[in-house]
Amino acid sequence: MKPTVVKIDNLVKRYGELVALDHFSLEIKEGEIFGLLGPNGSGKTTTINCLLSLLSYDKGDIEVFGKEMTPVSYDTKSKIGVIMQNVAVIEELSVRENIDYFCGLYVLDKAKRKECVDWAIKFVGLEEFENFRPKKLSGGLLRRLNIACGIAHKPKLIILDEPTVAVDPQSRNRILEGIQELNRDGATVIYTSHYMEEVEQICTRIAIMDKGRKVAEGTKDELKGMIKNSESVTIEILELPEEIREKIATLPHVYETEYDGTKLTVRCSGGRHNLIRILGVLQEAELGFGRVYSELPTLNDVFLEITGKALRDSKE
Amino acid sequence: MFLHNFKYELKMVLRQREFIMWLMLFPIVLGTLFKVAFGSIYSNNDMFKSIPVAVVKTSDNIVLDEIFKGLSEGEDATLTITYTDEATAREMLFDGKVSGIIVSGDGASLQVAGKGIKQSILDEIVSRCNMYQAVIGQAIATGDMQKVQDVAKELSKEVDACRDVSPSADNPDVYVQYFYNLIAMVAICGSLTGLHVATSSQANQSELGARKNCSPTPKFKHLSAAMLGSCVAQGVSMVLCVTFLRFVLQINFGGNLFLVYVAAVLSGCLGVALGFFGGSIGRLKYEVKSAILLSCSMVLCFLSGLMMGNIKGVLAEKAPWVNRFNPVAIISDSFYCLNMYSDYRRFITKVIGMVIYTIAFVVLGVLFSRRKKYASL
Repeated sequence: MKPTVVKIDNLVKRYGELVALDHFSLEIKEGEIFGLLGPNGSGKTTTINCLLSLLSYDKGDIEVFGKEMTPVSYDTKSKIGVIMQNVAVIEELSVRENIDYFCGLYVLDKAKRKECVDWAIKFVGLEEFENFRPKKLSGGLLRRLNIACGIAHKPKLIILDEPTVAVDPQSRNRILEGIQELNRDGATVIYTSHYMEEVEQICTRIAIMDKGRKVAEGTKDELKGMIKNSESVTIEILELPEEIREKIATLPHVYETEYDGTKLTVRCSGGRHNLIRILGVLQEAELGFGRVYSELPTLNDVFLEITGKALRDSKE
Repeated sequence: MFLHNFKYELKMVLRQREFIMWLMLFPIVLGTLFKVAFGSIYSNNDMFKSIPVAVVKTSDNIVLDEIFKGLSEGEDATLTITYTDEATAREMLFDGKVSGIIVSGDGASLQVAGKGIKQSILDEIVSRCNMYQAVIGQAIATGDMQKVQDVAKELSKEVDACRDVSPSADNPDVYVQYFYNLIAMVAICGSLTGLHVATSSQANQSELGARKNCSPTPKFKHLSAAMLGSCVAQGVSMVLCVTFLRFVLQINFGGNLFLVYVAAVLSGCLGVALGFFGGSIGRLKYEVKSAILLSCSMVLCFLSGLMMGNIKGVLAEKAPWVNRFNPVAIISDSFYCLNMYSDYRRFITKVIGMVIYTIAFVVLGVLFSRRKKYASL
């Protein structure tokens, strides 16, 4: 059993009348890439700020590396790397100086620090830009610098709060690959995002948040297993007699059918060979059809089914 | 770790655009403008040097002759007179060899070729000559030649009345006060660097502050290194400012230049402390705080006489407490005291005032920014 790196128990944080975190609990094991997924305003950043002891909270306990986390837990803080949602670098310093400055807050030894800075620059691919000032960098490169400043001291726990917001696809892929590489090197990662594709791509375990609460937690397969919909089959068909639709609706695992005159959508819960069975019914009835596609559920479907609203379209 | 923070804080401040603009370029530009504006009247020597004048006598006038004699004799003669005919006098005037032509007849009249301090003084002399003529005429009638000379000397004194006399015999020039205020303004604009220190160390005021607060470096270390770095950078800008004014613009700050530098560096620290205090209170945006601080600094500079030289005198009469508590006035007064008084008692009082202000601002700033957790970010 791997040791627990982060333990949040019954955390409550209020901003006046607004409950930002409502009895929120979490446990993250060593070596995980843990995703905190939720719409804007769901409480992800508040959780991170409480975890880092930047924010006071009304109730609950937070332990990091088995010790209570307080603002003066300097020993614990030295093992944490933070990449904030907004870029936090110093405009007046070059790329190298920025990384060296932040690394110097953690690593005192000059020679070791130089090694760390060299590694961080290489890791984020900013070798060509190390003497550039931040304002000369593009959005993607700036994000990479932001990450380098947070990881140069080679922390054991890395917290990334929406690090890919406003980043081009190329930089985003590089960042995501980098996070996985850091994890392979032994770092535990907490990754918050409202981009479900990213979370699905890299996280080994995910907690879905809404309105300050944890609405679901597990691996992506476990989360998808929590909902009724396990497969959606869509068939383009111009003519569908009602008796055929009813016949499809009675097939095993099919729990919902929908036909809008051009497109038939069949939702199934579990089971295999759903597509073959559905197509078999159509062929038997000698009905012609166009394109056919089958979709597995996404985390958005999970969120939709649990909260009744779409993850992507949620507003703060 | 302290040295690491200090080194980078120094780099950051010295590379800040606001720092370069307000604390390096602005005093050079404003100082040069002051120098240009006061150029013709600034120099002590020019102002009180004997004024060359041509006197054209159209008829004998003993009274005027005696007055001119009184004004042109002695080491501190007001006029250098050339007696000549009208044509030569005009030639001399157009050649710039004399500042005016006094036509002496029944009365005195003046011809000048332009406007300026010398011409104004000549105009004053001529009108006084005409005024004193009756008094002197009486003295001559009674044969009291000593009285004639006394009146002429009295006239000379009145012309010199604007000259301020320094007990320490350093630079008594009234216009140097503008340069004291300029140094005080540069010092108080150091509040911008102090503001930067405060906001960049607070997690609820900047992302940078949040990042620093996540690190294992205690906040006090961040703050002390940053404050020291800012004070050193500010000190450098103060030294450069004084050096530029003294050695490039040739402004005479009196005999004890070392103490001028000391007071300048100390006043820079006061400016940084003011900014640190201002930055530590409230949760306004950096830009808003910086605008408020600059506006307040400008008001304090105005009250100390940067824009209007006589405002300080008016305040001293109507509301003396303003000058007593205005940090900019305290700073500029420290230079004034150093220059004008031979003992250091008043200067030391001003320096103590600066130290008290600096300590008070730093302590209050630390009290406001010492918290480690925030209710909201």
